[in-house]
Amino acid sequence: MTAKDPRSGKILHQEKREYFEIGLDIEGRMRYGAWQIKEILDLTLPPMKTREERFLFTLPKDTEEVLVEVKASYCIKGSKCDVIYTESKKITYSEL
Amino acid sequence: MLKRSLLFFLIFSFFWIVLPLQSNGKKLDLPTGKLIDDFDEFVETFSSRKCMECHEEIYEEWEESFHARSMVDSIKGIANFFVVGVPKEWQKELNKKEILKCLDCHLPQIKYATERLALEIADLMIEAKKAKEAKDEARFEKVKAKLSKLNITCYACHNIVVHRSSPGWFGEPDPQAIYTANEDVEAEHPTEYTPTLKSAAFCAWCHGVYVASDGESTMCNTLSQSYYHAYISLGGRKTCQECHMYAKDRGHRFPGGHDLEIVKEGIGFQAEIKGFRYGVGKWIPAVNVEAFLTNRAGHRIPDG
Repeated sequence: MTAKDPRSGKILHQEKREYFEIGLDIEGRMRYGAWQIKEILDLTLPPMKTREERFLFTLPKDTEEVLVEVKASYCIKGSKCDVIYTESKKITYSEL
Repeated sequence: MLKRSLLFFLIFSFFWIVLPLQSNGKKLDLPTGKLIDDFDEFVETFSSRKCMECHEEIYEEWEESFHARSMVDSIKGIANFFVVGVPKEWQKELNKKEILKCLDCHLPQIKYATERLALEIADLMIEAKKAKEAKDEARFEKVKAKLSKLNITCYACHNIVVHRSSPGWFGEPDPQAIYTANEDVEAEHPTEYTPTLKSAAFCAWCHGVYVASDGESTMCNTLSQSYYHAYISLGGRKTCQECHMYAKDRGHRFPGGHDLEIVKEGIGFQAEIKGFRYGVGKWIPAVNVEAFLTNRAGHRIPDG
């Protein structure tokens, strides 16, 4: 989720939520090798469930306009991520 | 005149009968179940290309699947097991029994490889990893070309692993038969009907925690855990095949996490964005975003 100034492109606020598994060996240490992993910490999206995420934040006092973009990305291998959904909205704050 | 006509008839009959047999009527030689020691013979014996002649469309689907690159797509992870996991961490000798802990799923026909050939294949994986790390593109491509001949072939699913989900019920598959999910099949080769191919349990054998014969487990992916315990147990009723095979004629491509279309199908998304002013008297510009992600798949997302 990114909020930026639509004119300058400057990022005013940014937050991220991630869903993944952490593999642990028998001594509870994080591991990557399939032969080492004996249990997992399940931080994924569980089936048949909806996960709600809230992003509540304030902006600099003189902000007149902000473009808020919420993207859902799917990363298959490390840095290879694809955006699968985007929702955006431009918000204008009227003068006080 | 009669003699010439008879001769013409015999010559014509010869070409009419014999030529088609030589061009596309080649008998499908099914594996005999004996151990194979030669790499090329091993590749040829289990090759999916043998099925292509009659099942061209399915072959093309399979070619696009990750089953067709089950070895080349997993070089790093498998080679790490062979050079780090087995010899260094477990302090064991690398042999066919240990190799099977990866290749029983990544190359099920390894069952029919001799001890020597199994080690040759393991060495190819190690060689590919080393070449990649050394950024030796030419060497890597050469080994990869050989490894790309090894994959999960038609025979692997339609024979070797077909009864693994219920071996007590069905017993060992007959090496000379092709097992199908269709009850009425007419084919040039012996066929046997088996219901296992339609079940999630069939896929779960590899797409879940793998437990080797010595009790050691390897966890490449954990799909079947969440499928059974967080989907089926909560009322989910679809099999793996219903989404990854039957839907949209996906067939033997079996798209999964590498395919954005099916990823999108599996995840629902909604975001509500609201701007407001915060703090009575201060009236600071503020934003509230409520985002909803729904997992519509039959297993956890992501998994791998």
